Amino acid sequence: MEKSLFSFIWKYSARQQIFILMVTVLSYPVVYVLLELPKLIVNDAVQGDNFPRTILGLDFDQVPYLLLLCFAFLGLVVVSNGLKFYLNVFKGRLGERMLRRLRFELFQRVLRFQLPHFRKVSSGEIIPMITSEVEDVGGFIGEAFALPAYQGGMLVVQIGFIFMQDPLLGLAAISSYPIQGYVIPYLQKRVVILSRQRVRNIRVIADKVGESITGVAEIHANDAAAWHSADISERLYENFRIRYEIFNRKFLIKFLNNFMNQLTPFFFYLIGGYLVIEGNLSIGALLAVVAAYKDLAGPWKELLSYYQMTADVSVKYQTVVENFDPPDIHDIERLTRDEKAELSGDLKFDNVSFSGGAAGQEVMEISLTVPAGTACAIAGPDGSGRSEVLQLAAGLVSPSSGKICIGDHDLDKLTDSTLGREIAYVGGAVHVWTGTIRDNLYYGLRHRPLILPEREGEALKEYKRRVSEAKETRNPLYDIEAVWDDLEAAGADSIHTLDEKALQLLEAVGLDKDIYRLGLQSRFDPSMDDTFAGKILNVRKNLADRIVHEPALEGLVELWHPDRFNASANLADNLFFAVPADPEITMDQVPEMEEVRAFLTETGLDEKLQKVGLKIAETMLELFSNVSGDSGLLGAYSFITQDEIPEFERIVRIGKSEQQRPGLSDADRSRLRGLAFKLVPARHRLGIMTDELRDKVIAARKTFLDTVVKDNPGFVAFDPDVYLPPLTIEDNLLFGRARVDRRDARRRIDDVIRTIVEETGLRRPIIYAGFGYHVGVSGSRLSAGQRRRIALVRGLLKNAKITILDDIATGTTEDDKALRRGLQEILSGKTFLFGTSNADIAAEFDQRFVLDQGRISDKG
Amino acid sequence: MTLETEVEALRKVPLFHGIDETKLRLLAFISDRTEYPAGERLCSQGEEGDCAFIILAGDADVLVHTPEGEKKVAQVSENSIVGEIAILCDVPRTATLVAANNMDVLTVSKDDFLKLLKEFPDISLEVMRTLALRLERTTRDLADARRGAAGG
Repeated sequence: MEKSLFSFIWKYSARQQIFILMVTVLSYPVVYVLLELPKLIVNDAVQGDNFPRTILGLDFDQVPYLLLLCFAFLGLVVVSNGLKFYLNVFKGRLGERMLRRLRFELFQRVLRFQLPHFRKVSSGEIIPMITSEVEDVGGFIGEAFALPAYQGGMLVVQIGFIFMQDPLLGLAAISSYPIQGYVIPYLQKRVVILSRQRVRNIRVIADKVGESITGVAEIHANDAAAWHSADISERLYENFRIRYEIFNRKFLIKFLNNFMNQLTPFFFYLIGGYLVIEGNLSIGALLAVVAAYKDLAGPWKELLSYYQMTADVSVKYQTVVENFDPPDIHDIERLTRDEKAELSGDLKFDNVSFSGGAAGQEVMEISLTVPAGTACAIAGPDGSGRSEVLQLAAGLVSPSSGKICIGDHDLDKLTDSTLGREIAYVGGAVHVWTGTIRDNLYYGLRHRPLILPEREGEALKEYKRRVSEAKETRNPLYDIEAVWDDLEAAGADSIHTLDEKALQLLEAVGLDKDIYRLGLQSRFDPSMDDTFAGKILNVRKNLADRIVHEPALEGLVELWHPDRFNASANLADNLFFAVPADPEITMDQVPEMEEVRAFLTETGLDEKLQKVGLKIAETMLELFSNVSGDSGLLGAYSFITQDEIPEFERIVRIGKSEQQRPGLSDADRSRLRGLAFKLVPARHRLGIMTDELRDKVIAARKTFLDTVVKDNPGFVAFDPDVYLPPLTIEDNLLFGRARVDRRDARRRIDDVIRTIVEETGLRRPIIYAGFGYHVGVSGSRLSAGQRRRIALVRGLLKNAKITILDDIATGTTEDDKALRRGLQEILSGKTFLFGTSNADIAAEFDQRFVLDQGRISDKG
Repeated sequence: MTLETEVEALRKVPLFHGIDETKLRLLAFISDRTEYPAGERLCSQGEEGDCAFIILAGDADVLVHTPEGEKKVAQVSENSIVGEIAILCDVPRTATLVAANNMDVLTVSKDDFLKLLKEFPDISLEVMRTLALRLERTTRDLADARRGAAGG
């Protein structure tokens, strides 16, 4: 990669830089004429005589001449500003493109690092390098050549002008330049060193912050917050110190520059004045020189700040780029090649040595052969070199000596396109990507875009633009919106068979039950699959029938009924009898929505709800007033927490005084409303829910549905005959609430749902719906075991010729044993390496190699 | 039924005799109000007990295991508390409770009851007094029984 900023800029934008330069030079005459015209207008058109003037053979009188010149001036103003605008946009675009190219190049280099290199670099350091640290480079690139050329040209012209007036004055004008030329770089050098320190320090801070976030549980578990705070605080002080020193020097440079610039006029007046007195220089010339010198200050200042910026940006560029150029970086071909070699044949290690850089990570002179299509256990405790051998076999790391071959192919010479498709490797530390379960399962099939989406009109134009930009910046042309799932590789002929295959494998690894549960909790869009929604509605009806007719189920559930009050649901559900179409909006937020507030006020319900809330608050305060906060009773049962008690005491005091409640603020009212909405009559038997209120709620529900919900895309009304997309599948199946006043109602009804779902064949679609479950950041919403199993299925789904598992499925229970038998069966006829630290587990395999301290100690 | 009616019912339970009304209201509020249709089990002999039942309405049969199967040994009815032994000391349920007719029951979980005792020592005192009375009566019964056995 280009070591210096300027060679990077020149290499990738020479043509554009020359273009910018040329346009800049073109603008010289325009600027010059623009400066000259006003003089001409004043001196010639306004104050001149002997009209008419002849221009291009046309005669102009004084007024038309003035008009001509003025319009010429106007025209030039437009042209010059237009040029400036065009140039600025051009420079900005160039800068952004170069920045994109640079960032992508950096990212691609990260992908090309050898795996052991990641022991030395952390994401906390790399991320700011690619994102913020190179940011300034983009702004600089457009100016890199044009600015010094333009301002330098200006400077030369002005100096030339002064020299033409008087060489001595010319010398005086540039007398301070040599000193500045010596002192400023000297000071700047120190600034550059400090800038480097600053960048490094910030990287360490980023790294430490990142580490604190990853290990936040450890920090709390060990009460180490103080230690980390001290550490970061120290680093921040260091940052302050460096920056302070940089400021000092930067401003010192500025000070020196300003001082020198103002020192020169001193010489002008001294020498020039003397010359004028002596009669060797006209007073007019002296004034002209002083004026010219003033113009000199502008370009000089620009050049100086350009110099400082160049130094700053160059050092940033270098401190970034030097981290992306390790000597052992993979060839770019390794990433970009798309040809796949067939890896059939025996896996052979021939005197292979490898060192991971620490004790217990070496492999010494290992030779072994695993015949094609057989299963083999690689046993050995952690630190025996087992994991290294398996990573070597997967081609993830390169041996330091020796050769690893599959058939005729040397793994070290193969690219990702072969290694990543022909070999499935699942290591002990699996990574689950942020996204859905489906994304994660099919991740191993997404090598290249396969079927490009059809685009028309605007979309096509937009796509073409994207492609041309990618070409400009040497970014890849892969289309992220294309279909990437390689069905053929997985041995499936449609996405449905792929889903089925995935389901089979999930069953084999025992993850299907978990996904089923996630599926019940997930939402699905009925417009995608009408029949599924229809089936769910059938189950709902079936369930409702059974609840009515079977004595064992009777009274376990209160179903949603448009004309009935559901005592097991809270007042909000009962009143609104609808859910927001956006599942992100919770029921708590609904009363604050504008249309709902308006409805509550109009119908007078607002007042009533506040009264209910007030009554609840009063009762709560009365019940819990003598209870201490740490008993835990308050938190578990009250509507109010310990902290809120004083607040509610105030609200109740004001609310009870029979006046018009002037003292209650909007926030207080909203709190009271909130309390009322939380009321579940069957659970909280406060005697507030009178029959009268109940009827009012039902009546209000009807008005609400008619006025607010109807024709409002923001709400979906509860309707026993309609699938409600904002609710989970489970809530759609059981269209009601399990009774809170029946023992174990929820569990019992769940059992019933499960059997009905099994009977109606809905289990499968629900699992597929579970594929759409979002696993959270790096799979944080899954358990560690689930993550490993998903990674395992991902590996198996690749249907690769060689499957390598390390420290996966190594439990000792009967289920785990069955799982391993299942794995051998699934992978029969394929090469299968299984890494484990347990000798008994290894004994389940026909072939074994036992590793100890990097050597093979036993085989069988 | 509301808290007020539940408090009325609680007041009739001998264990809560001397406890003032606000505390009974709190007890009622933190308890779960549950309905049991006839035939449903409240608890089973041998399982771990984590709550006591205060019967507000209806009756429950008390069954114990015998070699011949489950046998009814007693019936508990309105305003009695059952299963309270389980929430004071960790013993498995000594009998099975089955609703004889439709029942209305207040269920107090063990954790909450203990919290309540801790919070209001006078309730503990009352509970102690009731238990002591019961112990005294049981001791007397036992003595009578022994005397009867010796005499006969």
